[in-house]
Amino acid sequence: MTDVIKDIILVVAAIIVAPIIGGILNGLDRKISARMQNRYGPPILQPFYDVLKLFGKERIAVNQTQMVYVLGYLFFAVASLGMLVLKQDLLMIMFVLAFSNISLVMGAMSVRSPYSKIGAQREIIQMMAYEPVLLLMVVGVFMSTNSFMIKSVFDLDKPLLYSLPLIFIAFIYVLTIKLRKSPFDFSTSHHGHQELIKGLTTEFSGPQLAIIEMTHWYDLVLLLGLITLFFAKPIWVGILIALVCYFLEMVIDNISARVTWKWMLKYTWIIGIGLALTNIIWLYLKNRA
Amino acid sequence: MGNNEILALVAVAILLPALSAALCYLIRSTPTRKFIVLFTALVMFVVAGILTQQLIKSPNGKLTPTMNLDFVGWIIKFLDMVLMIYIIYTGVRLRKALIVTLASIQLIALVIFEVFGTVEEPKTSFVIDYLSLVMILLVSIIGPIISIFAMGYMKEHEHHLGLQKSRQPRFFMIIFVFLAAMNALVMTNNLSWMFFFWEVTTLCSFLLISHDGNTESVKNASRALWMNLVGGVAFVFAMIIIYNTTHTLAIDEIVGKGLVGLLPIALLCFAGFTKSAQFPFQSWLLGAMVAPTPVSALLHSSTMVKAGVYLIVRLVPAYAGTVLGTVVAVVGGFTFMAASAVAISQSNGKRVLAYSTIANLGLIICCAGIGNYVSLAAAVLLMIFHAVSKGLLFLCVGTIEQGIGSRDIEDMQGLMKRMPFTTVITVIGMISMLLPPFGVLITKWLTIESSTSLPLVMMFIILGSAFTVVFWSKWLGIILTMSYKPKHKIEHLTASVKGALSALFVGVLAASILIVPLFNNLIKPYLQSLGNVEDLPIGGSKGGIWITVGNAVFGGFASLLFFGIIFILMITIPIFLKRTKAESIKPPYLCGENINNDVRGLEFYSPAEKVEKVVVRNYYLGGIFGEKNLTPWLNFISGAIILIMFGAVIK
Repeated sequence: MTDVIKDIILVVAAIIVAPIIGGILNGLDRKISARMQNRYGPPILQPFYDVLKLFGKERIAVNQTQMVYVLGYLFFAVASLGMLVLKQDLLMIMFVLAFSNISLVMGAMSVRSPYSKIGAQREIIQMMAYEPVLLLMVVGVFMSTNSFMIKSVFDLDKPLLYSLPLIFIAFIYVLTIKLRKSPFDFSTSHHGHQELIKGLTTEFSGPQLAIIEMTHWYDLVLLLGLITLFFAKPIWVGILIALVCYFLEMVIDNISARVTWKWMLKYTWIIGIGLALTNIIWLYLKNRA
Repeated sequence: MGNNEILALVAVAILLPALSAALCYLIRSTPTRKFIVLFTALVMFVVAGILTQQLIKSPNGKLTPTMNLDFVGWIIKFLDMVLMIYIIYTGVRLRKALIVTLASIQLIALVIFEVFGTVEEPKTSFVIDYLSLVMILLVSIIGPIISIFAMGYMKEHEHHLGLQKSRQPRFFMIIFVFLAAMNALVMTNNLSWMFFFWEVTTLCSFLLISHDGNTESVKNASRALWMNLVGGVAFVFAMIIIYNTTHTLAIDEIVGKGLVGLLPIALLCFAGFTKSAQFPFQSWLLGAMVAPTPVSALLHSSTMVKAGVYLIVRLVPAYAGTVLGTVVAVVGGFTFMAASAVAISQSNGKRVLAYSTIANLGLIICCAGIGNYVSLAAAVLLMIFHAVSKGLLFLCVGTIEQGIGSRDIEDMQGLMKRMPFTTVITVIGMISMLLPPFGVLITKWLTIESSTSLPLVMMFIILGSAFTVVFWSKWLGIILTMSYKPKHKIEHLTASVKGALSALFVGVLAASILIVPLFNNLIKPYLQSLGNVEDLPIGGSKGGIWITVGNAVFGGFASLLFFGIIFILMITIPIFLKRTKAESIKPPYLCGENINNDVRGLEFYSPAEKVEKVVVRNYYLGGIFGEKNLTPWLNFISGAIILIMFGAVIK
């Protein structure tokens, strides 16, 4: 029984701590991005002020169901984070994460608005692009540890990074898409004055938008947590690598312009799947020998 | 229960639908027919229930009622000849040389083999094990529910066609013959009997597809007929080769001891591919949707296509671990990927469903080919989950079509306002095909985790999964599109339609929520019957399915916990529906140029005060996934894979 209580405490702690870390990282992102663009930038805690303000706004909606999808987006992101800290099945985490994302897409599509519909369609195409790479990553982890449970990653003697270098690169590549950063920021954008308006999130406002923003933080922590897996022992190296990767994402975000979805689909599949498959095939042959 | 009682149950399961078929045809009054349909449904439910109970009680995990009735064998032989002659006659009437040729080959081969040859029939004519039981449950529960739905649907359908004289007696006759043949097909242990029932389902599907009798339906029906006859020819030759090498037609012996070479098994698998509409034979199932919706629901869920995968799964012990197993996995995996890809480009709802069926059958076949315990569990589970969900979805699309007059996905925007009852059920049906913690996704997850020994197959499944997400979520998004409406009024549907939809809806939820008992009571004994292992690598406990190697957990998922989250979300829906006030509703953003602040946002002012309609449509990515561009290539590749299969097994 103590195990169950320990698990529950662990999950509750993750649910409380993750958005704090996610929010601070988001604040850092905004600060560093501003400095890169020679601006002063907002205070690091600005994301929290934003979300609190959004929660206090008037509750307006375009239809009655939007909030349900937003909650689905949040609940399933939290659930996949919970599965991560409990070191559960990695493949299932990817599927649960997909559910969370689909929920947001449905929310955007539930409204008869051209901007949010286009954003949603593009988000679906993004999912089609990165989902195979994420699943291949899971298979790569399996081939190194002989198990789909995250627990076994921590039982390895050698870090995953040594056996999965190409999959690591592919994962960092799709991370840019997953975080909706430039050059792959075409389902929604940070600035609401482009052809997309705000794409996916155009029709969400007030508390809905606040919850979406918080879910982004959960997502961010989850994804950085997945990077950490590549160097699980000692864990601080993994965390350092994750932070470096996040910094890299900021740099890429700032130096690149948006591409088209066709470009993204083509190159994600060729580069992402190509790298991941190469890695998997060599592991496969090694395991057979 | 003794031998005779079980034999009587088997007889009821097969002969009662056959008798009801005859009665439906002969007694042409509508109230009587309604009574027959309901009564047959009830008896079929009860028989399936008793068979389940008996099988669970049986010590060795199978029921083998024996009988000493030689004349039954001769009756079936006689009916077999009649059937073939009828198909030849049909071919002549349609002026299709191909049908005549294929049926004649079967007839000649059968006459030489069965009438002039000295075939010794197996002593145990029926073997009901857990795999058969799963099929019996699907056929005897989903089949009758669909026929109940058909009572309401066909009335509306014929009204719409403006028929002078109802053709419903014919329709229900064929439906019940179909169900009888399916029940017999999955219970028999005699390969030549199985062949007879196999061809009965082929003929029934021809008759049902061509039911409306217009040019298109006759054309598509004859395509279905000749493609399935190709499989039938393969079946006959497999049967002859098997008998000549082993001198037995008992399926349990053929499968069990590895007596036969791989060639006849490959021929039988090929017959399964045609029946299950694998690429390059997918076009018959796509064409089959011209038939009235209950027919599509029946063909796609519990009958016809499931016969193909049933045969392939049944044969697993004969080819597991061989080169044939690997190629079968590649055929299935390729079809899964190919059909999911083409589905992205389709805007016709029924065609999307059809491609999704083809894909899921591919996945089942792929699992059978991989052939380890985990993948076989996935195969049988997917047979169940797919049958329930797809049966429901076809009925939903049929209801929607009668409600809005279109089956085009784009026309289903705002469905919630017009048909809230159907919409909610359709949405849950679609989610059950796509998202965790529902059963179909659980099987996909099991398949990926069990396919790591075959990287190519794994790659097909991973890509196919990504495509699956695309076409389902696009469609879901359209159906869920709605603008504000203060109060939703439930649409009027006839009792039979509403009842059937509700029953299958409950079935979809129950199957997924009760996955652990489902696994432990049906799938586990099936897996144990394959190899007498004590420690299965897969088990149901702690609210989910867990894969273990030795003592270590290899993978797993407590799906029950996630139903908790879904349940909480479900509760919030009515709360938000009620709580949202009309004042807080704003129109969608149209660059501030909305007309009259209409909350639906249908029109906007374009430059020079011109009024323009807002058109929102899905992407169909025709340039990449278009049916016309892709199909020839996909057919070519899948044809090549099948040739490779035969090339590899012919000595």
